[in-house]
Amino acid sequence: MKNRKQQPPVYIDARLPLIKPAATRLGNGLPVYFLEGGTEEIVKVEVVFFAGSYYQIKPLVAFATGNLLRYGTIRKTRAEINELFDYYSAHIQVEAQKDIVSVGMFVLGKHLPAAFDLFCEIINEPIFPEKEMNIFLSNKKQLHIINQKKVQHLARSYFNELIYGEAHPYGYRLLNEDFDKVQREDLVSFHQDWFHAGNAFCIVSGRIPETMATTVKRGLGAMKAPVTEEVKPPVYHMLSSGRRQIQLEMPGALQSAIRVGKQILNRAHPAYHRLKITNALLGGYFGSRLMQNIRQDKGYTYGINSSLVSLLRSGYFFIATQVGADVRKAALDEIYKELEALRSQPASDEELEILKNYLAGNFLRSFDGPFAQAARYKELLVFGMDWSHHEDFLTELKSITAEEIMETAGLYLREEEMMEVVVG
Amino acid sequence: MVLFEKHILNNGLKILVHRDETTPMAAVNILYDVGARDEDPDRTGFAHLFEHLMFEGSVNIPHYDRPLQHAGGENNAFTTNDITNYYLTLPAANLELAFWLESDRMLSLAFSEEKLHTQKNVVVEEYKQSYLNQPYGDAWLLLQPLAYDVHPYRWATIGAEIDHIKKVTLDEVKAFFGTYYHPANAILSVAGNVDPQKVFQLAEKWFGDIPAQKKPTRRLPAEPQQQIEKQHAVERDVPQDQVYIAFHMCDRNHPDFHATDLLSDLLANGESARLTGKLVHDRKIFSEINAYITGSIDPGLFIITGKPHPDTDIHLAEQSIWQELKLLIDDLVGDRELQKVKNKVEAGHTFSESNVLAKAMNLSYYELLGNANLLNEQVDAWFRVTPDDIQRLAGKLFRRDNASVLHYLKKDASEIKNFITK
Repeated sequence: MKNRKQQPPVYIDARLPLIKPAATRLGNGLPVYFLEGGTEEIVKVEVVFFAGSYYQIKPLVAFATGNLLRYGTIRKTRAEINELFDYYSAHIQVEAQKDIVSVGMFVLGKHLPAAFDLFCEIINEPIFPEKEMNIFLSNKKQLHIINQKKVQHLARSYFNELIYGEAHPYGYRLLNEDFDKVQREDLVSFHQDWFHAGNAFCIVSGRIPETMATTVKRGLGAMKAPVTEEVKPPVYHMLSSGRRQIQLEMPGALQSAIRVGKQILNRAHPAYHRLKITNALLGGYFGSRLMQNIRQDKGYTYGINSSLVSLLRSGYFFIATQVGADVRKAALDEIYKELEALRSQPASDEELEILKNYLAGNFLRSFDGPFAQAARYKELLVFGMDWSHHEDFLTELKSITAEEIMETAGLYLREEEMMEVVVG
Repeated sequence: MVLFEKHILNNGLKILVHRDETTPMAAVNILYDVGARDEDPDRTGFAHLFEHLMFEGSVNIPHYDRPLQHAGGENNAFTTNDITNYYLTLPAANLELAFWLESDRMLSLAFSEEKLHTQKNVVVEEYKQSYLNQPYGDAWLLLQPLAYDVHPYRWATIGAEIDHIKKVTLDEVKAFFGTYYHPANAILSVAGNVDPQKVFQLAEKWFGDIPAQKKPTRRLPAEPQQQIEKQHAVERDVPQDQVYIAFHMCDRNHPDFHATDLLSDLLANGESARLTGKLVHDRKIFSEINAYITGSIDPGLFIITGKPHPDTDIHLAEQSIWQELKLLIDDLVGDRELQKVKNKVEAGHTFSESNVLAKAMNLSYYELLGNANLLNEQVDAWFRVTPDDIQRLAGKLFRRDNASVLHYLKKDASEIKNFITK
């Protein structure tokens, strides 16, 4: 018989059904990893270049280079390329981030051979037509101008500037006029310097045809090898930590966007796993202290969360929310109270068990299927890591205590070190 | 192809199960056949506010989220004009916990004034965050009442105004629950590493004793045929104008639905689509443009929307859209171009089948449309569309007297006074 008041027993098996990648290196030096799996005939190919905005000497160059690969090659126009990708129903995804630019393609197995040739062509032989570049940049400029009307967007860009400084590419805040300054030659030389086989890796995931190894060798083996004279990335200095604030008044705004955070250790640091679990307790899921207090108890916001971001040369932590303009002071007070409580009020046994089980289940979820696993594997490869990183996380998750969480909060998440941006 | 088994309990609850042994997870979806279209015109936004209250504890379980998180699960929900849909994923070994949680909140909620008050505040903040405090955020709030005169699609899911949400009483909440939240008005689907027979047993165990109630009958006013073009213009603090054109189209189960869907793809699905290729990339009239269908169960809208570049007059920009639409009426679309959009929808459909949650959601939704196996017939329905279908529908839809046009203008625009306001 059932008892509706009694929760059915739960089983937590914190093991990961990890796909073991098959690795190879092409003649030009490009490492390629194959992650086989999935129920549908779909393949994803992704090439990751260490060519994010950190490496550029002018704003937007990394972003424009990545995005304009498909705007024309030696043999095909932008219109021809678009028509072919659409006909093969190949979904092209370009992500231009601070450390990397990645070019990905999702495609049905039956269209893979034809689409893959074109995919290699845009990577290996782009010509960056000037007219296309100008239209692309003017469209993105409009988007940027619109984003300046969004409190959460402004809070994000001012926050990065606040913690890294405007002179550092991790902190640089884009200006409207930056979109007018990019020249075709910038893209050509950025592509020349950073988009080569010695500065990249490739991941193929999904239901991979047997012939794929040969296909990849032919297509991406044609990517140019590293130049003999190595190009050195620029060197920048970050601002040091210390409490700083920015308040941007926007008359008439109904809500204020809040960001509170600081520079912090990244994935490569031994304390990363502990910090990740500590962050989850604070604001990493719906049951977190911030969400329960500020949304579910006070009703100040539709949502609040805290996150850790790992960059290759740094990392940062932030709490983000949008609250009614009339309660922003009260919301900020509660945020700092929760930061204080994180190192003074131990998680109860129940709170800790829920947190651990949730994170274990979430782990399974974020590794579900070949594409999710490929995404996780990519994050590791950027840091030169392998699956053992996540196995270590699970070990830490099982053993961590409420005291260790408080200790971690005391070491890394003290209120007096936080920087604060309020927009609205 | 999503294989599934179906079972109906004596109280009317429908259950669909898809087994996928490649995943350690299970996804559980419960669709309630109630949406914003079922609301009282003075209480718009009610179905969505109610969705929030479903997470505030049920008759035997004080907290919904905690036990689910304890089982490694994650959940969410959404409300549309047609349905309210709740979903969760958790390790398949903990499936019973999902049945315990979902059956208890179908049985009864832990209604309280305090929780209602807090969730009203949360929804008001959501209203601001998503609609009022975003550039162009209220466009949809304007477009729906412009396009519809009588059908309840004339208000947005979030509610026509914040005041409607603030006025909701606890008695109204209880009455709404009584009318719509019961077995015969719900569809439960499970996808993942599960045995269908065991799922049916769990369903019987946890949902079987919830009393049966009659499924409410829906009597919504039909939208009359539009007679003349409707126009509306507003000024807002935005940096760039935006034009919206809404055409009335068929309902979800109409034989023309898939052809209408492909018609929108021909215009704006992919970089090579007509509006994107010509008006964004080639002619630099718009900085962005889109075309899509609402896909609602009752007759829906076919929307075209774009932001003209600042140096382009919005009327000329709108004119360039009408010219492209005329080409679809005058000339047959080529076989390769039509095949291209068919390939795209086929790929999109296949991607959605690589994910247990999407499979569970789709099974519930197609069952609501009449039969869960419709999910497996979608690709064929798209592939049957001919160039003649496209031309016929372009002629039927893209008429001035079938259009509602919204000009969303940056504040300093001067021509606003020439516009007729609805």
